[in-house]
Formats: sequence, structure tokens, C-alpha cells
Amino acid sequence: MFELEQHVRSWGDYLRSKGMKEADVLELESHLLDQIDDLVKSGLSEEEAFIISVKRLGNVNTISEEYSKINTENLWKHLLLDPADPTAKARSRKQIALIILLSFLAGTAAKIPAMFGIQTQDVVYFKNLSFFVLPFIAFFITVKHGRVKMFWPLLAVYTTSCVVVNLLSPYRPSQTDILTGVHLPLFLWLVTGIAYTGQEWRSSKARMNFVRFTGECVIYGSLLMLGLMVLMMFTMIIFQSININMGPFVENYLVVYGGAAAALITVYLVEAKKSVVENFAPILAKIFSPVFLLTMIAFLGAMVVKRTSPFMAREFLIGFDLLLVVVLGIVLYTISARSVYDKRSIFDYLNAALIAVAIVVDCVALSAIIFRLSEFGITPNKMAALGENILLLVNLAALLVLYARYFASKIEFTLIETFQTRYLTVYAVWFAIVAFVFPIVFRVKW
Amino acid sequence: MDLSKDLVAASATPLILAILRQKDSYGYEIIKMIKEASDDEIIWTEGMLYPVLHRLENSKLVESYWKMSKEGRRRKYYRLTEAGRQELEKHAKQWELVYSVLSSAIIAAKSRKDDEDV
Repeated sequence: MFELEQHVRSWGDYLRSKGMKEADVLELESHLLDQIDDLVKSGLSEEEAFIISVKRLGNVNTISEEYSKINTENLWKHLLLDPADPTAKARSRKQIALIILLSFLAGTAAKIPAMFGIQTQDVVYFKNLSFFVLPFIAFFITVKHGRVKMFWPLLAVYTTSCVVVNLLSPYRPSQTDILTGVHLPLFLWLVTGIAYTGQEWRSSKARMNFVRFTGECVIYGSLLMLGLMVLMMFTMIIFQSININMGPFVENYLVVYGGAAAALITVYLVEAKKSVVENFAPILAKIFSPVFLLTMIAFLGAMVVKRTSPFMAREFLIGFDLLLVVVLGIVLYTISARSVYDKRSIFDYLNAALIAVAIVVDCVALSAIIFRLSEFGITPNKMAALGENILLLVNLAALLVLYARYFASKIEFTLIETFQTRYLTVYAVWFAIVAFVFPIVFRVKW
Repeated sequence: MDLSKDLVAASATPLILAILRQKDSYGYEIIKMIKEASDDEIIWTEGMLYPVLHRLENSKLVESYWKMSKEGRRRKYYRLTEAGRQELEKHAKQWELVYSVLSSAIIAAKSRKDDEDV
């Protein structure tokens, strides 16, 4: 069955991704549909009509090129959507109102622990951080996509997690608390992904969209946080000049409410204006993949020449794990930004090389962890690191094999995407184990 | 008959303005009307029409609004403004001038040829 609506939408999304204004895309979409109607009336099937109409609308690239000549206004101006028709305008105004309300609620929720005398620096607070933000994000996304029904089961997951995590008393010296604090948000973010993908959360396409959404959120979120920090700095400085100490205010209110608002605005912006970042994020990934590749190769080379193991101190070990996560992120983003129909390019080979080098680094890190485990005994931290390194290794190795088969023209690129999106479930399960099971297991004295 | 590129470019603005003078319209319909009025001789591409429409809108010769069609589709309609009306008058005069010079020159050329034939 040919899904006309869906095809027209993806065509429009392509124009959007080329930086065309929303109003212009809508205009061309209605043009396309008019043409299809006429062709169908004259006896063609919907599919034939769609193909012919798209062809007739000409090379989309030249159209968007034409558009870019007249739409020379600054791209950033379009960030806060200005829809051309009144219904869309009303809808976007409602969304902004909802975002303001939810930001306020999220900020207030983040103030609740203070009533029980829990400081923001406390580990318990850190552990619960995700509950102040993610439910509100999930609520906004489900409302925006018109599936509020999906919010309630998610809320149940958040609530249960919150109860479970806070009932489990930590393993001394509260190591598992920090582990939970790190892994719980990751797990819950993947759960929040269900709000984003909706019923199709199993489909690889929907998951890839969520990966893209995540990457865009990181970029927008960093920008907003940077702005927030600048605001805080100036607030402190200008009030200090008249001998008023704004420290407590900034710490107690601006950080909390500002942070909550930044998170929700990020989600709103990414949802509202996908096109701008979709043009930007692939560029970032492309710039940094060769640079990271060179850095890692240089490091491995230097390590071999100097014959020193870098992993004797545990801080470095954590640093390397972070590096691997960033590399995987770059690899993932390059994959997600790539259209399935693209031809093989130099960046595919670069991506594969990056994976190969990351595997070597991962093996070095793994051997160091195993060494530390056998030397200093089992601790929750080391077990978590071990698990993550093994998961990363499997992921990277499988990607490398799939890339090799793709270069040999044995498989389609889609298979790489399918594998990677399925593997996300494995991460979700592991994050949940570290967050929920570790505190139980490690309460038993070894 | 294929119009030359230059002629298509030069005639696009007055033709669009003239069509919008009759009634408000949208891109797809404009292309169709031009095609019908020229007995399928002038077939505009979308890549040419929409940039011109948007340029006209930017220079306030036409204005646009969104309207639901019968099929429940949002369409962007264009309407001629007062400035557009005046612009159309100017264009019409220019074209009349060109046309009258051209046709009298052709008639003169023909009669001269006729004279020589005799």
C-alpha cells in the first residue's frame, strides 16, 4: 500500500532540511498535492502520480537554491517559529504557554527536596535530578504529538523508579548512589524516547529520529546553558557593584528555575525547528570525526613508543570511557545524519576508521579494568565500568563488521541503522541494571 | 512554440499581475491558467513561478493569505495590491508600446517587400 501522505511529508521534510522556510514548504506541498489530484483524476495511481509530480516540481535542490536567494533573512530569525497561517500560530502560542507553565512546575518540583533539608550539593539530590525534568519533557512531547494517553504509563515508570531508587539505601561509601545518579537519567531518557516515538517505538526509523532528536538537544541545550551561565555571571557581578550579594538568589532560584526552563525550551526549540540543526549537526560530526581519529591514533602511537600504561589511576580510566562515549556519539550522529540513499563517501570510510581505532582504545581500557578487578577486588564502580566497556566493544565491533560488509556491497546501509537502533535496548537494560540492581546486589557484603 | 528564456522572464511579472487582477489565486492555479490561456503553449515551471511570486510579495505588489480549500488543504492565495494594480498599468502600457512599434515595423517591412515584388 502506497502511503501518499507520508511520502509527501517526507518530501516536505527534505525541503525543510535544505533550509527552506516552513510557509514555503507548505505552499509547495499543497502544490504537489494539487498536481497529484489532477493526475489521479486522469487515471494514474497515487504512486505514479506522486513520482511524476515530484519529477515535475523539478530538482528540489535548484528550487531550494532559488528560495535561498530570496529568503536571505537570517536563519536564526526563524528559530522561534513564525507560522504563516493563523491556526498554526495559535497552536505555537499554546505550546509556548505550556512550556512556560511546565518550566515553572519543573523548577518548583526541583525545590521540593529543599523542604526536607536536602541541599543541592547532596548525592541524594543528584540521584533524583532526572525526576524534576524528564516527566515534564515527556508530558510536553506527548501533548504536542496528540498522544497524552502514552504519558500515564511513562509517569508510572518515573514514579516507580523514584520510589525504588530512594528506598534502596546505598552501599557504603555511597558509591552506588553516584552510579545510580549517572545511569538513571540515561535509562529514563531512553524511556522518554517512547514519548517521542509513540506507538512505533520498536521501528528502527522512529528510533533513529529519536537519536537525531537527542543529538540536536545536546547542541541546543549546550547553547542555552551557556547563555544561562553568562546571565548568572552578570547577575552576580552587577549586583556586587552595589554591594548586594546575589549568590544565594542565583544558587537557590536562578540555577533551579533557569535550568528547568533551559531543558524544556531546548525540547521545544528542537521540536519546533528541526531543519536548522539538521543542517548543523552533521557538519559538527564531520568536522570532529577526523580530528578525534587523529588524536586517538597519535595517543596510541605515543603510548606504544613510551611503553607506559595510562590506566594506573582510576580518574584516567573514567576519562577514557567518556572519550569512547563521545566517539560513539560522533559515529552514531554521522550515521543518523546520513540519508539511506546517499552514495558511499569518504565520511563512511572515516567513520569506519574511527570505529576501528576506538575498538583498540576500548581493548586497552578493558584490559586495565580487568587488571584492576583482579588486583584490587570487585567494587560497584569497576563492575559498572566493565559492563559498559564490554557493551561498547560489542557495539563497535559489530558496527565495524557491518561497515566492512557494506563496503563489500554485501549489505544495504539500512542494516547498519537497524542494528544500531536495536542495540539501544541493550544500553537501556544495562543502565536499568546499574541504577536499580547494583544497589541491591552490593548491599550484600563481599 | 517555445518562448525564449528572456521573454519568459520579462513577461512573468505582468502575466502574474494580470491573472491576479481577475481574481485571487494560488501557484498551481496560476500555472494552469497560463497554460490554458496560451493553448498549452506557455508552460511555466514551479521553480520559476514561486521565486517571482515571492519577490512580488516582498516588493508589496501582491499580498498573500492562507485559505482552506474544499479538500481541506491549506493554500497560499495571492491578492493584487493597489501598488500591484499601478504596476500592472505601467507594464501594460510598456507592452502596448512595444507591441505597436513591433507590429507597425513588421507591417512596414511587409509592404516594402510587396513593393519590391511588384
